[in-house]
Amino acid sequence: MISRVAEHCFWLARYLERAENTARILEVNQTLLLDFHVPLQQQWLPLLIISGIHEYKGDPNSEAVQNFMTWDLDNPFSILSSLHWARENARIIRETISAEMWERTNYYHLWLQSQVCRDMYNYNRGEFYAQIRRINQLIHGICDATMSHGEAWEFFQLGRYLERASQTARILDVKYHILLPTLDDVGTPVDNAHWVAILMSCSGYEPFHKTQRIIADPAIAVAEFLIFDPLFPRSIHHCLTDCQRALRCLGTENFTEAERKLGALVAWLDGQTIANVISSGLHETLTHAVDSIHAIGHSIHNSYFDVEYAAPLDDHWQWQWQI
Amino acid sequence: MSVTSPGLFSAYTPHSTAWDELFSRDSAPHAHCKTLHDRLGQLLVPDFLAKRAGADMAFVNQGITFSVYSDMRGVEKIFPFDLIPRPVPGAEWDRIEQGLEQRIAALNAFLLDVYHDQRILKEGRIPADLVLGSKGFRKEMIGFTPPGKQYVHICGTDLIRDHHGQFLVLEDNGRTPSGVSYVLENRAVMKKVFPHLFQDCHVRRVEDYPQQLREALMSVAPDGAESPPTVVLLSPGPYNSAYFEHSFLARHMGIELVLGQDLFVDHETVYLKTTRGPEKVDVIYRRLDDDFLDPEAFRPDSLLGVPGLFRAYRAGNVTLANAVGTGVADDKAVYPYVEEMIRFYLDAEPILRNVPTYICARPDDLNYTVNHLAELVVKAVNESGGYGMLMGPWSTVAQQNEFRTKILDNPRNYIAQPVVSLSTCPTWTEEGLAPRHVDLRPYIVSGRSTWVLPGGLTRTALVKGSLVVNSSQGGGSKDTWVLENGL
Repeated sequence: MISRVAEHCFWLARYLERAENTARILEVNQTLLLDFHVPLQQQWLPLLIISGIHEYKGDPNSEAVQNFMTWDLDNPFSILSSLHWARENARIIRETISAEMWERTNYYHLWLQSQVCRDMYNYNRGEFYAQIRRINQLIHGICDATMSHGEAWEFFQLGRYLERASQTARILDVKYHILLPTLDDVGTPVDNAHWVAILMSCSGYEPFHKTQRIIADPAIAVAEFLIFDPLFPRSIHHCLTDCQRALRCLGTENFTEAERKLGALVAWLDGQTIANVISSGLHETLTHAVDSIHAIGHSIHNSYFDVEYAAPLDDHWQWQWQI
Repeated sequence: MSVTSPGLFSAYTPHSTAWDELFSRDSAPHAHCKTLHDRLGQLLVPDFLAKRAGADMAFVNQGITFSVYSDMRGVEKIFPFDLIPRPVPGAEWDRIEQGLEQRIAALNAFLLDVYHDQRILKEGRIPADLVLGSKGFRKEMIGFTPPGKQYVHICGTDLIRDHHGQFLVLEDNGRTPSGVSYVLENRAVMKKVFPHLFQDCHVRRVEDYPQQLREALMSVAPDGAESPPTVVLLSPGPYNSAYFEHSFLARHMGIELVLGQDLFVDHETVYLKTTRGPEKVDVIYRRLDDDFLDPEAFRPDSLLGVPGLFRAYRAGNVTLANAVGTGVADDKAVYPYVEEMIRFYLDAEPILRNVPTYICARPDDLNYTVNHLAELVVKAVNESGGYGMLMGPWSTVAQQNEFRTKILDNPRNYIAQPVVSLSTCPTWTEEGLAPRHVDLRPYIVSGRSTWVLPGGLTRTALVKGSLVVNSSQGGGSKDTWVLENGL
């Protein structure tokens, strides 16, 4: 398929996934703060940092940060920005995605501009975030059911799982940034409630409990589940192997730079145990994962979207594409 | 109007002088519109308005929009759509179709001639300076013959109906005519809103357009192209006002929509940049003007085109549709000579007549024009979309003086026509159903043979009395119904 179109497919999926996960992060943070008091500076600003925003000049309070992360079009990570750019990518490749996908994407673009939507945000915040999550879920469902599972769809999958891997790492990292008041609070009901909230924000509460493990320490068990679980579709490991599968299906005979980097990250994760991770620091591990995923994104760009093209040498070309 | 009818048309008063597309002079519906009138007329106004709101929502939700500005967050507007269809009787349509086929044959013969022997110029049937001095004339095309000798693969010819009910050709659009996606979307919406009406009225199908176009484009692939050939649609990009149409057509034809940046030329062959390497392209349906096609051959500052594309074209390795240089055939100053072309190349009398036209490049016509500005419509020959026009009877003396100066400065750039009272069609307005002026743009598709879309885009002025129907000037559109059992 056309490289430029592939790139739009990839980013359409990433922006949709990002909007969903921004909603999840805002939701989980709100839930975490319900149970006990932390200083204002530690309440909402960490969310900006894990989203990669270091230059926020606005008010640190709850409403200001939620507004910034939801509505601010100048903030490239806000829900509105993500959905705006998702829709823009969809509009550009309307001939590639299915008509139903386009119609739903456009529908929610219009919905976000409506008073109904503002009212939901103002009076029923939880339902608003749930609705934002459902946008991605719905469009992905439509995509799976109405588009041929060919190259365009694989790029869509790739974008979705790469973004999700990175976002699961970020959500897990929220816990690192919201410090417990004292060491004595570790393992208390409040601490446990936080881990439950993290799980729920990843829709992992029920799947986690169905794994029938002996939970000595919820912190370790939840982190292990969200990083390593081979079956849960939001675990970092699962998302990365889904990316690998998509890249193989798109495959050229030789491994691309993107595949090699992705392979290296998965191999690195396979070599870790949760005990290693905890001893070398959960935050450090997650940061490494996020940085590596970022680099893989660059490689995907170089390998598939912005390739140096040389024409085939003769009419009867058996052109082998080397990266 | 029957007093027993409480429905939609009960309060409608046709225009005092213009031809009405639904009603005859005695205020009864035309014979071919009777079923349409009777069925539609049963609707009560509130029901009609509910259907209208539903149709508008369908357009908004599907994002069937055009953008007025080209910035990144450009305003997207829906093209106003009027639910009352514009009927054309089948028998009359058959004659229009023949007239259009005749006209397109003449235009193609003219293009082949002016880029080769220039017989029509040598024999003095059209002034040579008019043709050779036209902005649309591309000297780069001299001596080159496109595959199938076909230049105008897609033509949108604007027709109007005068107060006698006669269809006249207002202009030909033989470069990159737009609007056909609205024909198809309007029809889709109308079928949802009025399913039963369609069954009763026997309306000719328009939905075959994308397949007809794809087959026409495939039929003119260069010799030696793969079978089937690779056809792409080249768009100026997502911020172009017609991008919706480009993606619509690509989607329905099942071809790739590409931008200039997606193509490159090597050894005079055009390739598509794909995730699996280069792929050869055989036919390009380009929605980009000649000027922007290739910075090497035409405007060097164009970022939209493909460097080397014209070389590949002249080498015969890729087909461009429409061909380069067709602008000389739809130049408004050349337009008055199309009837002459039909006589010259086809040895036939034109089936469809032109609007009488004064060519300011001719001294007598120039003299007449500048002395009768208050009665004439003056058009700049290289403008489209209703820009650069003087509507004489509605203009101020100051505007007339301004145009007089412009015309005398550059007579070659202007033509003038008497005001033709465009026909009207019942249209929903703020004051209820009222007559509004309409034109008709049929689409003619030519590969190795020619096919005419039954009907076309009916554009309607929405402002009372206005004769300007262009979308960029606030016009709307209607579905055009060619009625099978008409007259």
